[in-house]
Amino acid sequence: MLPNPLALIAEITHRCPLHCVYCSNPLELAAANSELKTEDWLRVFAEAAHMGVLHLHLTGGEPLARTDLEQLTAAAHQDGLYTNLITSGLGLSRERLKRLVDAGLDHIQLSFQDSQQERADWIAGTKSHAHKVELAGWIREHRIAFTVNLVVHRQNLDNLEETIAFIENLRPDRIEIAHTQYYGWALENRASLMPTAAQLENALLVVAAAEARFKGKIRVDSVLPDYYAQFPKACMGGWGRRLMLIDPAGKALPCHAAGVIPGMVFDNVREHSLQTIWSDSSAFQRFRGESWMQEPCRSCERRTEDFGGCRCQAFLLTGDAAATDPVCSLAPTHSVVLQTLAQSPADVISPTSLEENWKYRPNPSRV
Amino acid sequence: MGIAETCKPALAIGCKWGGTEEAPLVLFPEGAMKVQSTGLAILALCDGQRTFVDIVTELQRQYFGADPKRIREDATTFLEQLHEKRIVDY
Repeated sequence: MLPNPLALIAEITHRCPLHCVYCSNPLELAAANSELKTEDWLRVFAEAAHMGVLHLHLTGGEPLARTDLEQLTAAAHQDGLYTNLITSGLGLSRERLKRLVDAGLDHIQLSFQDSQQERADWIAGTKSHAHKVELAGWIREHRIAFTVNLVVHRQNLDNLEETIAFIENLRPDRIEIAHTQYYGWALENRASLMPTAAQLENALLVVAAAEARFKGKIRVDSVLPDYYAQFPKACMGGWGRRLMLIDPAGKALPCHAAGVIPGMVFDNVREHSLQTIWSDSSAFQRFRGESWMQEPCRSCERRTEDFGGCRCQAFLLTGDAAATDPVCSLAPTHSVVLQTLAQSPADVISPTSLEENWKYRPNPSRV
Repeated sequence: MGIAETCKPALAIGCKWGGTEEAPLVLFPEGAMKVQSTGLAILALCDGQRTFVDIVTELQRQYFGADPKRIREDATTFLEQLHEKRIVDY
């Protein structure tokens, strides 16, 4: 029997006051007036809890842009879901934070872009750093799990040691250091974001030192840059195996980026139950199991560990969503990844020359 | 190594019980952990009220007949592992 998902990712809006150059949202953002209503989300959360889903990730865009976030949080908590808020912090006052904690929020993950205000605001495309620092202090006034997330790339890796020291002073329970994954806006800006091999090597040492220093105090989790890896990541824990994502307009996707794959039909929670979509929808079935696999995946002993890697990346880099993820050293198309790494210029862009280099993520249209 | 006798172990911030009565879980921000048999017996006593000595004494009562020294050692190892993973605080 097909096991039900363990986690639901609710992208409750694509509106966001930040314009991060590595945003994982799709290039085609969901318009503000297409968003699900409060009661739709409440029904989805109740269905998820009934299916045995354990974790709810409230994300976006910026989830705080929804004025009903407190209501959504309270309902999810009452349904028994472990509620995570993935946020930039913009739109969170001390009072609103208290309301969310009172509503039963279990964990808040706050993103930082850098340790220096000017550099951080440059990456985010908006003034946000100073507020985040103030907010971190307010979060520690509550008994709630606190993660600081830092996305790293060529423009901030040289400051990594300093940035980790800065984050330590914010007193999180956990630090997530995530190398940029190249989808959506990050892929558009890949040439300016891809780290050099030397930066990566140094980053691994810096992160290992932080792990040792914080042992028993702060948990450190890291996401590695898969272009440099020998084998692909087990993307989403395998297609349609553990996670389900609902976009702002109610479309159910197996992952953040699945919309890029041609020919996919995503069922909408406005028309179908979550259970029906999980079990029967063509999108979730498309790359489930192993029958879709090509060689070398089909006969590879790693296929039950990494499931052939990421389908979206396979499509984005090779044009074939069923191909072996080209980051795999065994992939027949691995050369496209090696060429990208060889072509990436080693320079670091200065904030003054940003306009011509960056493609900032815009806000979605109203309609 | 070892755990102070007077400390009061409890689930760490952000960790809470979930799952079902038959298959209990501890939920935390990045996932969940199945808790079974003796691990469950130990963790169920970590309520932030009982001291480590209280917990060991209660386990020695529950597992009457087992080597009391061994019970103390097992409880210590188990709680130290969970402390490192930031699931238990003391």
